[in-house]
Amino acid sequence: MEGIKTGFKNFDQLTNGLDYRKVYSLFGDKESGKEQFLYKLVQSALSSNIAVVYVLTSKSYSELINEFNSRGININPYLGESFKILDDFSRTNSPSATDNAYAKILNGPIDLTGLSVSLSSVNSDFIKDAKPVINIFDNLSNLLIYNNPVTVYRFLQFVCGKDKLAGVTILFSVDTAMHPPEVIETIKNLSDAILDLKLQDGKRYFKLSGTTKEVLEFKELE
Amino acid sequence: MAYYKGLDGVSEEDLDPYFGIAKLDEQLKGIPPKKVVLISASPSVGNEVFGYQIIHKNITSGVKVLVFLNRTSPQSYLTDMKEYDFPPNDNLVIIDAYSGITGIKSEETDHIRVINNPYDKEEVKTKIIKELNEGYGLLVIDSFSLLADFFDFSFAISFMNDIKQVIVAKESAAVLLFTDWGYEKQNVDKLLSNVNSTIEIKGIEKRVIFGQYFAVLKCDWLEEKPTFSSVLFKAIKPGGIRVYFPKILVTGPTDAGKSSFIHSASKNAVSVDKLGGTIALDHGTVDFEGYRADLFGTPGQERFDPLLKMLGGEAIGVFLVVDSTKPEQFPRAVEMLRKTETYGLPVVVIANKADLKGALKKEELREKLHLDSAITLVQTVAEDLSKVDPNEPTKLKEVNIHEALSALFKQLT
Repeated sequence: MEGIKTGFKNFDQLTNGLDYRKVYSLFGDKESGKEQFLYKLVQSALSSNIAVVYVLTSKSYSELINEFNSRGININPYLGESFKILDDFSRTNSPSATDNAYAKILNGPIDLTGLSVSLSSVNSDFIKDAKPVINIFDNLSNLLIYNNPVTVYRFLQFVCGKDKLAGVTILFSVDTAMHPPEVIETIKNLSDAILDLKLQDGKRYFKLSGTTKEVLEFKELE
Repeated sequence: MAYYKGLDGVSEEDLDPYFGIAKLDEQLKGIPPKKVVLISASPSVGNEVFGYQIIHKNITSGVKVLVFLNRTSPQSYLTDMKEYDFPPNDNLVIIDAYSGITGIKSEETDHIRVINNPYDKEEVKTKIIKELNEGYGLLVIDSFSLLADFFDFSFAISFMNDIKQVIVAKESAAVLLFTDWGYEKQNVDKLLSNVNSTIEIKGIEKRVIFGQYFAVLKCDWLEEKPTFSSVLFKAIKPGGIRVYFPKILVTGPTDAGKSSFIHSASKNAVSVDKLGGTIALDHGTVDFEGYRADLFGTPGQERFDPLLKMLGGEAIGVFLVVDSTKPEQFPRAVEMLRKTETYGLPVVVIANKADLKGALKKEELREKLHLDSAITLVQTVAEDLSKVDPNEPTKLKEVNIHEALSALFKQLT
């Protein structure tokens, strides 16, 4: 079965894309190209009629949309249709911010219940529309900074369990340098598949484990 | 002074805080002084709207409410409350145990107390106890599970016991909002044994959530356990928690006034009709005294009888609408109950057009319909006969509609 294409040619050829119903963790340092990977994945998924729920923890929904636009990705036709944003950041600066048609404004990184409830509800809406769904967490690091790691693990266990039951694919982006090795290890243990990105000599590389078609040595991401 | 106006329309006044949530107040009669209530929710459903509604009910009834808030900022909290149409007033004081975590600057006001270092157990405990001693009718902790996450479960339990002492001394009460993330069973059991009442909130879910319900698991101030096991609800924005009846059937002979009843009872009714007579179905959503119900109307014409069984499926109650001036249609009315397979369900008979010439009196209606004395019969009349348009459902008098809704909802709860 064809997976979810990421929009990166050699990645999709070598891995067959992201497997449905799997939990992916995306690790990399600040310059490794995680955001570029996520944005291209969003574009590719949406153009294949896959619904995307994008959880934001370190920027606002308007900043995200600007970033898509600045990269020439026309996200507007999908907003509120098959692309919904759970914005867990805006209220840090604007406590009175409220929802709109495509962005649900959450309370911030501490309120994991609010995030879990919203995620269930938005996923349910897409599933009822018979759409395949991917949940993208950009990023998990901010949740880990503000909460006790055990609390975040409990949250992840719940969310991953629910998403799997619902047939939803899930991808967590993690800034490797921000967390001690034991935290990284636990997140890996909670995931089905691990995707590593790195920047070397101006080029981006990836490797992937835990999927049907693994790429265990770093290959260039094109 | 808090009170709850139930389906009987009777105000029960005393000094206790109330939930402001249909069914809970009817069964538990509010929250007596010195009692602690735990509202425990599954992480995919959430309990925050229960908190907003309880706060709103009490502050608008003159009860002073203290909210310990560690989930979000007071500004965001109040924004969310307003979205449910629950604006704050002077009876609400919030202890802000959130802003210090995120680095947002928060200033004390008449209605906001600030915990500078929410990671400091002593400051958290001292500040809340000091404030409680100022005299509040109700304390709401939103959220208690976050308190356990932040520190540990044993601190959360000892914190609750310290607070309980002040609550008992000051004749106050407390509501703890708790998300059960799958904590260790012994910790949760200890928590449950330390509270006076536990209300559980869960979703009915498989791949998707297709319903939410609450249930009273424990209540030590009632001599008998409440008679309900679980109650479906919806959280409506604006409006808050509504006890929810997913399907109530409205049936009866042609031109008795079924569409009029549905359109008068609900704000958003739609009819699939042709020249005034319903040929497929009517639907309307009713909001009444903390309850929400979806009404489904059947066509009355005999040629649609094959549809009736399907339309009646899954209904949990029935409004049987008859024309008071047409007793010759009454056998057809009873036949429709049988054809919709709703005979034996809770039913309220609506005797419409009760003010028209030739309308039967109540006792005559009962006799001709062979109504058991336990079945409620409500007479309805048009709001303004001069405005009756044959192509539009006629509006019925609100007082009649309320009497009918109240009678059926009481049977369903």
